[in-house]
Amino acid sequence: MNGQIAQPETTLSRFHTWLAQSLVNNNEFFAYFEPFIRLAMPAWSTVGVRSRVMKVHSETGDVYSLVIRPGRRWKNFSAGQHVQISAELNGTLYTRTFSISTSPDYFRKTGLIELSIRSKPDGRVTPMLKEHFAKGGVCTLSDAGGDFLLPEGNEPLLLIAGGSGITPFRSMMNQLSSNSLRDVHLLFYIRNSSNALFRQELDRIAELHPNLKVTFINTEAEGQVCEEHLLRYCPDVADRIAMVCGPTPMIQGTRNLLSELGLPADQIRFEYFGAAPIEMEMTGEKSFVRFKTSGIATTTTPDEQMSLLDLAEKQGLTPQHGCRIGVCYQCVCTKESGVVFNTRTGQYSDTGKEDIQLCISVAASDLELNI
Amino acid sequence: MTTPMPSAESLKAFEEDLNQIRDEALAKVGKEDADYIRRVVLVQRVLDLGGRAVMVAGFYHWAFWVLGVAMLGIAKIINNMEIGHNIMHGQYDFMNDPHLNSLKYDWDGACSGGSWRRTHNFEHHTYTNVIGKDRDFGYDVLRLSDDVEWKPLYRMQFLRYLNMTLMFQWAVAFHELHGYILRNMRNKREGKAPTDNSELKADFYGKALKVLFRDYLFFPGLVAIFLGWPMFWMIFWGNMAANVIRNIWAATIIYCGHFTGNVHTFAEKECEGESRGQWYYRQILGSSNFEGPRLLHIMSGHLSRQVEHHLFPDMPSYRYNEVAQKVRAACARHGVPYNTGSFGGQYFSVIGRILKYSRKPKAQTQTPAAA
Ligand code: FES
Repeated sequence: MNGQIAQPETTLSRFHTWLAQSLVNNNEFFAYFEPFIRLAMPAWSTVGVRSRVMKVHSETGDVYSLVIRPGRRWKNFSAGQHVQISAELNGTLYTRTFSISTSPDYFRKTGLIELSIRSKPDGRVTPMLKEHFAKGGVCTLSDAGGDFLLPEGNEPLLLIAGGSGITPFRSMMNQLSSNSLRDVHLLFYIRNSSNALFRQELDRIAELHPNLKVTFINTEAEGQVCEEHLLRYCPDVADRIAMVCGPTPMIQGTRNLLSELGLPADQIRFEYFGAAPIEMEMTGEKSFVRFKTSGIATTTTPDEQMSLLDLAEKQGLTPQHGCRIGVCYQCVCTKESGVVFNTRTGQYSDTGKEDIQLCISVAASDLELNI
Repeated sequence: MTTPMPSAESLKAFEEDLNQIRDEALAKVGKEDADYIRRVVLVQRVLDLGGRAVMVAGFYHWAFWVLGVAMLGIAKIINNMEIGHNIMHGQYDFMNDPHLNSLKYDWDGACSGGSWRRTHNFEHHTYTNVIGKDRDFGYDVLRLSDDVEWKPLYRMQFLRYLNMTLMFQWAVAFHELHGYILRNMRNKREGKAPTDNSELKADFYGKALKVLFRDYLFFPGLVAIFLGWPMFWMIFWGNMAANVIRNIWAATIIYCGHFTGNVHTFAEKECEGESRGQWYYRQILGSSNFEGPRLLHIMSGHLSRQVEHHLFPDMPSYRYNEVAQKVRAACARHGVPYNTGSFGGQYFSVIGRILKYSRKPKAQTQTPAAA
């Protein structure tokens, strides 16, 4: 799983791989023993750290938090980082990325972390996860990753959150509240002031710590992020390092605003909410397809009905393939995120990371492919 | 002799029936299938490790050696057939399990995974029994229909058949490279430049070295270190016997799937631009099933359901028995011949076919029996 740094190849590691391939037909010996280990520890896996979901609690609205005790091999994390969680639902291992919404300090004291997740009514995985872990259970966690971190030093910060983009900031605010005198101002854009996520907790932090300020902005009454807001609520915006997390359009708009207000690029940090694999909307219009490995991107429309294999080839790429009719499985590639339509089964895929057959898949939303 | 194809219209209804059967089965795929294949993997591992260990006890009594060889032989059969073959078809890709994944899986056999996906998944499954396209039909070694011109060499083809059965894993491993070598010989005759096959060679020797090292050097050597030199040969011959058991079984099952007396062949022209219905039709006529208890189905990797496997190569094998009844009923409704019989009956039918086409055809009067 990604998030792990590839080990440099040495003669010894090459020999080790060769030997494992020879003796157990796999790159690693552990894979061979996995079925035995699972007899003692169900859901044990060679990838990631086996961890325990202690409980699920509902936050406001359709957001819930998974309270997780990471396994002993799990390394620490920094406020603002995200983690991949994998769980088996009806025989299929689903993997999703979420920001950790509690602080490293809290983890040190209790050994627990929380992932706060919006349950999408039409989503496949987020509602299932909530149900699946209602009584707790076992999951697999990757190491924490991501570089949306509190900047070093003591410059004042402006944090701008939209909706459930608050999760990394919740972690940061809690962390700051335990050990810092840094001047931080959080602008939290919410749709409905009565059920803002983590409202009480954030209010309490602000009350106890004069250096930590929180402003809730109701988008229904006051509209989206604009210059007027920024100057009104945070007149010294240009002297701060700004960090933005929320839905894609909000991030793009806010970044433009901030640079118009005179913030240099290195003073603007942002994170598309939910880290890399965003649960994307099915557009029904133009889809943006990004070939990650080759760094090529293109757009396609649904009425073109071009298979992703054709699309990739049109861009001059040469993915491996054979039959072009979905039989041979040579064209399988990893989709990092987005929805594809399978022309053979007539079904839409899941939004997250999974393997797809290029020759019978058509883009149904923005896509990121590992080619 | 090749088979004429019914009109596209008459096949449309047939296609829809089969699609429905497929969709119904795929809708049920989930935990049950995942648990099944995991159980099979566990049993395979127990037999693999157990067989190797018990064989060592041949030291005390030869019966242990026999038992160990049998266990290891069965482990290899399960590894190749129910696990390897089916995993590499992508049947269990829905699980997102990195160790049961079509592209990453490799099996206990001389043929490399990549070569298998090209020759078997692509050539054989796409162009099933199309003379000149599906080299699995006779493997360029046997003459199994009138489409191949008779040569005196074929008189002895029963011996070739026996030889290929004993050495089956090597025949499969060499299959792709063999095709290139034959092509290059043709090219040379026609004065064309040879195609480069150095990569295939590296692939072939790379994998061969791994399996030879394990069965004929590593394990015999390991045991010999502790128990003395004579044990080296005991394990050496034991492993060879297990490999031969697997070879005979695998070859026999596979021949019963495509080389029985009533199996049809097709001309290259017939499958140009064919519809899914035509493709289905060709798959059914080009394959044959056999009946038996559940254990026989599992030990054959469900290739006893060759017809269903060819219709839906990526459906979990666990489902083949249940769809078989429906497919058979659909064939009866549409008047499509469905080839099945007892294991023994199908096997003798294969032998009959091999013997029949080894004889010199009686000039013009020969009636095409393959049709
Ligand atoms: S090219 Fe054969 S499955 Fe896609």
